Amino acid sequence: MKVGKWKLLLLLAVLAVGSAIPASGALATSGQAGEVKIAVITDCKGAFAFGYELDIGGANAAFSDFAGAKPKNKKKPSAGITGATAGGAKLTFTGYGCGDDTPATMLKEIRRLMVQQDADVMLGPLSGDEAVATANWAKSHPDKTVIVGTAASQDPTMQIAPKNLFRYFGDGAQWNAGLGETVYKKWGWRNAAIIMDDYSFAWTSAAGIITDFCASGGKITKRVFPPLNTTDYSSYVRQLPAPDKVDGYFWVVGGAGTDTALKAFEQAYGSLKAKQHSGNLFLWFLTGAASAPKLKGAYIGGFGIGPGLKTAAANKYRASMKKWYPTIPAEDSFTLNYYRGAHALVLGLEKSNGQVGAALQRAMPRVIDDPYQVSDRGKLRLDSRRQAIQDQYVMQINATGKFGISTVGYVPNVDQTFGGSFAPNKPAPGRNFPSCTKKKLPWQGKIQVVKNGNITKQFIK
Amino acid sequence: MTRLEPKQTIERLIGAGALVVAVLAPLLFNAFWLDAILTQTLIFGMGAASLILLSAYGGMISLAQTGLMGIAGYALGNMVSEGGAGGESKGLALGWDPAVALVLAIVITILISFVFGAVASRSYGIYFLMLTLTFGVIANLFFGSVTKLGGFSPIAGIDSHTPGFIGDVVNDRQRLYYIALICAVVAYALIRYLVRTPFGLSLQGIRDEPLRMASLGFTVPLHRMLAFAFAGLLAAVAGVLAAWWNGQISPSDLGLAATIQLLVMAVIGGLVRIEGAWLGAFAFIVINNEITNRIPSDGLWVVGGTFNTVVGLVFLAIVIVSPDGLMGVWERLWSIRGRRGGPSAGTTDVRQPVTEAIP
Repeated sequence: MKVGKWKLLLLLAVLAVGSAIPASGALATSGQAGEVKIAVITDCKGAFAFGYELDIGGANAAFSDFAGAKPKNKKKPSAGITGATAGGAKLTFTGYGCGDDTPATMLKEIRRLMVQQDADVMLGPLSGDEAVATANWAKSHPDKTVIVGTAASQDPTMQIAPKNLFRYFGDGAQWNAGLGETVYKKWGWRNAAIIMDDYSFAWTSAAGIITDFCASGGKITKRVFPPLNTTDYSSYVRQLPAPDKVDGYFWVVGGAGTDTALKAFEQAYGSLKAKQHSGNLFLWFLTGAASAPKLKGAYIGGFGIGPGLKTAAANKYRASMKKWYPTIPAEDSFTLNYYRGAHALVLGLEKSNGQVGAALQRAMPRVIDDPYQVSDRGKLRLDSRRQAIQDQYVMQINATGKFGISTVGYVPNVDQTFGGSFAPNKPAPGRNFPSCTKKKLPWQGKIQVVKNGNITKQFIK
Repeated sequence: MTRLEPKQTIERLIGAGALVVAVLAPLLFNAFWLDAILTQTLIFGMGAASLILLSAYGGMISLAQTGLMGIAGYALGNMVSEGGAGGESKGLALGWDPAVALVLAIVITILISFVFGAVASRSYGIYFLMLTLTFGVIANLFFGSVTKLGGFSPIAGIDSHTPGFIGDVVNDRQRLYYIALICAVVAYALIRYLVRTPFGLSLQGIRDEPLRMASLGFTVPLHRMLAFAFAGLLAAVAGVLAAWWNGQISPSDLGLAATIQLLVMAVIGGLVRIEGAWLGAFAFIVINNEITNRIPSDGLWVVGGTFNTVVGLVFLAIVIVSPDGLMGVWERLWSIRGRRGGPSAGTTDVRQPVTEAIP
């Protein structure tokens, strides 16, 4: 094949530019005195890419609230912030990492931002298996501090639990505390089936539902596990018992799969009846979906937040988000959990006088004011594995009007162990763990009714 | 003693120079570059070399090599990791002796390569490509779905369980670099040796004229299967090294994107010469890392997009200008020199070393 000289020259020019770039990158980077480097890592690709600006917005808003920062662009959080300081140190950002919900990409981003750019602190990641990979990485990098973004698999703070990793919100199981008891009492469910994505977050989320429902006396008669990102759910919903064989179904199928799976159910078993369906936070995101109107009135699990809650702390947080980023939804835990993490980081840096590494890890707050914590006068505590013990909220899809959700139940101080159901020496949640067992949970019988954003003294019966 | 042509002399000098730089790399580069760029280049270069070996000398473009690397990583991860409090929460967590696990992981991968090779050895061209792609997809879905062996979540802590003769690769990343370097050099030498053996020569004959070779009495499918298994050995070693380097393994490490990445590395380097494997891996990894650092958060100017856009454009430029990749550029530079009356130029044809080797 004949190749023109100009083509060759062009290619050589491209290669020359390409080789100049790494030459500059090979130089060691080092932080300046009085500077703390932070990497905010979330997902800009994959199933949770929609969380990118929300996560960064939450973090930036907290840095603006507590570290004196100013957003560069109020409509676009990823444009960054300026002027953040804490504990006498200037906060600089090595970049906003872009994952795609896979561990491999997360590790690549961690290497780029935490190793090459030499960040001291990581705020992230977004999703469950990314957090498993991150926690394992953190174990072998004790000088770096990791504050989990909004990932909610159990393992990072239970089985892996490196000492330099902190999580200021509940895991996926904690988020579902109270849901099982609610459907048991309100709708009289005794036998139910559960369908869950086959990966760590869904297992953790389902573990909360199963433990809570079974603790009340319910039975899980069937567990079905479609692989993540399944597009045709027909064979999986066929594995579920028919509607006349169970009282209800718990759905833990996320992303684009939620509506697709519900449609497949309708094709197999007829129209959806709201009182026969429940599930985790994935059902929050059904706005505009064909199945959404048929689920009006269904009880669903929480997200570590009580939307519409009328407390001073929640009002203050909502006003703050509106001030810094008017277009970013405040009452979404993609936003709130990064806000929580950034807030905790600023407090930690203030206490450590801007020191990082072990000093910062010692200084990271074990008790912190939280916008949606009501118990203990709004103080959220971390347990010995640096995992939040957090108030949780049961939600209901609004029975009338446009698709929306309301906070209907308040579950005080939910800890990660679920009254000893989970422990570091027990397996992480999986397909068949936990088993279905009747037991006493700390919050059993203490779920308070929430009406119009106010926590009442009534208990759910 | 045969007198070397100027091109060969220069190539050997460049090769020796590259080896010296590689040996001295810990003194020349910072820790990030040594670990994230060079170690990764050596490891994925080996994976790409297994692909180029099959392509250049066997006429088989295999998309199963990433899958085979992943199988080795998963086998190792399941065997060495330990469960219990503070241990690994995914996979079998058998806690076996790391040396035994290392050998078994490589043997298992070679055996699976034999099976893959046996099935694919009678297919050619696009059919071979599709079959091997299917193997890769099967491997990815298998480990993603069989939760007892790991499932969607990563099996971690693999780097904490290395055999005694490998040592601590968690804290001593230089050690891992040198292990990867030794493996890469041995793999390169082994490939160079293999293609000059009667087996290698007959494999190249099969690449060019399978029917004629069959009529001469060669068992064509067996040859192709053995070549596939040998490439499986290289992929297995690369897979084990990748698991140590990453510390963990997950289905995304052997997914479609990872499969295509390895192919892109091989194509950027050049599918006709083994050296292209490491050159392509280096170019890909550097572009990946450095460009990602320099892309504005709202995407590239005008075209938008991210690293994939850039690597796609570079890939396009290379295959249009030099279908033989970066190694092809080198050959073409010599062609231009030859046309200007310089010493006889080399050719990009991979058959050249073969004809030299035939007495």
